[in-house]
Amino acid sequence: MFWDGNIFWFLMGLIFVVVSFAFKAFAEDRGWTLNWWKSLLAALWYWILMLSFYAWGTLAGENEASAGLKFFLFGLVVSIILGVGLWRLLAAKPKDA
Amino acid sequence: MATFQGALEANPGWKLGDPVEDLDFPPPLTAFYSEYPERLEWDYKTFTETIPNNQKDAAIYGPYYTLANAYSYGFQYHGANLPGQQAPPEESDFTIRGNPIPPAVPFKSAALASEFVKEIAHRFGATLVGITRAYEDFFYADSWRGCPPEYDHSNLPEHWKYAVVIGVPMEWDTVLGSPQTSTSYEAYDRVSTAAVRLEGAIKTLGYAARASSPMTNYDLIVPPFSIEAGLGEVCRAGYMIAPETGSNLRTAVVITNLELEIDKPIKFGVEEFCNKCKICAEQCPSGAISFADSPAEQEWGTGSVLRGWEHWYINNGACYNFWRESMGPMGCRLCVAVCPYSRKDNWVHDIAKFADPRDPTGVFASGLLWMQKNFFDYPDAVEYHRPDLGGHFAGFRTEPTFLHAERYLDIDIVSPHEN
Ligand code: SF4
Ligand code: SF4
Repeated sequence: MFWDGNIFWFLMGLIFVVVSFAFKAFAEDRGWTLNWWKSLLAALWYWILMLSFYAWGTLAGENEASAGLKFFLFGLVVSIILGVGLWRLLAAKPKDA
Repeated sequence: MATFQGALEANPGWKLGDPVEDLDFPPPLTAFYSEYPERLEWDYKTFTETIPNNQKDAAIYGPYYTLANAYSYGFQYHGANLPGQQAPPEESDFTIRGNPIPPAVPFKSAALASEFVKEIAHRFGATLVGITRAYEDFFYADSWRGCPPEYDHSNLPEHWKYAVVIGVPMEWDTVLGSPQTSTSYEAYDRVSTAAVRLEGAIKTLGYAARASSPMTNYDLIVPPFSIEAGLGEVCRAGYMIAPETGSNLRTAVVITNLELEIDKPIKFGVEEFCNKCKICAEQCPSGAISFADSPAEQEWGTGSVLRGWEHWYINNGACYNFWRESMGPMGCRLCVAVCPYSRKDNWVHDIAKFADPRDPTGVFASGLLWMQKNFFDYPDAVEYHRPDLGGHFAGFRTEPTFLHAERYLDIDIVSPHEN
């Protein structure tokens, strides 16, 4: 099956790599300086968002679509709150700049 | 139950409140009902009210459950043909099809014998396998299969040394149709088949063996053996929860004298989780599961400590009464279906199962439970009941498509869910 098989997760991995490069370019365009821990936090944020999305699909697959949607919306709200904090952190200029 | 039914039929004028002795039960049963009059009330209600009502309901809604009953009966039919124990342990455990077992083939070590037994048990169909000692406390006091009335039950037979405990779950999608369309026989038959196969294999190696299983009957109570064999932990609903399958596990035991290496009991936080959760108690249509915070505080039963072992005790009379009210294959199983531990084995639930026992603060369990109670839909307990009691024979979830009689059968069907 595509949705619970290796090809799905391989594609998700590919998308993650593409998103990572896109995010690097995006950060450079905005003049953000990314170090290792900022990059790690950004990756974690991405995975929180994506895992809520994957959980929706997985729960729908076990006949619990309504629980899956609620889980996704909950994850979305958490991601937006964390995302605002992360944005401000990434956009902050170093003190000596 | 057959005894109770027979007694009522032989004494049609008997009413609740009349002396229980008038029902001419065997003396131990009379003593039991005298000590626990609430059980007499429940069983009386079951036979005088619930079963007649169920027959009326079946006349209206029975066709809706035709395929669920047929599916269940397939397992029951096969299981009924499995060989049981027809002679006392000293005889039946040492014979195969009437012939004496051959001389014992020695194993290099108990550890290797256990490894082999577990390997073949899995290949015979067991999902989980564990090994423990044949604890005398967990055997019936006076009714082992194949034994004549004068048989001496005061000591276990010497060759009852080890207990190989095996478990098989019901299918995860059918069990969600509980309490109406699911069937215990799905796993009863499979685990019994695996147990009989294991008994045969051990015997051909020259060792005594005796399977106790749902389809071949028992000499013992299985859950405490399962717990001692490390398959899981006891839960609020009175049976065992396994890390892999939750409370969805049907078990059997093969007693043997083959020297085996035993497993250790496990703890993975069920006791603590059950104290916060109580979903099964909230959902149980008959109110048979206690809301108490510990077995010692539960409000009914024959006591929380039996032969020195503490345990949760469900209100069996109430539970059985609902079994006879529900539609579809006999029984209920709702407490299995609603338990958070019984969820399908996938990465979402695996993360939860991995993290919860490793969090000493209990915060993760509280968070999981909050999600469980707020994200997942639960019918009100009354919905599981018959229409005259305010329900519509609800299932925890809709039964899988292959059990929809309306889809497949060209017959008149009245759905209890309409109106
Ligand atoms: S089987 Fe049903 S009635 Fe019995 S304890 Fe479980 S939920 Fe309650
Ligand atoms: S439903 Fe909750 S309280 Fe009941 S057995 Fe499962 S975990 Fe324990």
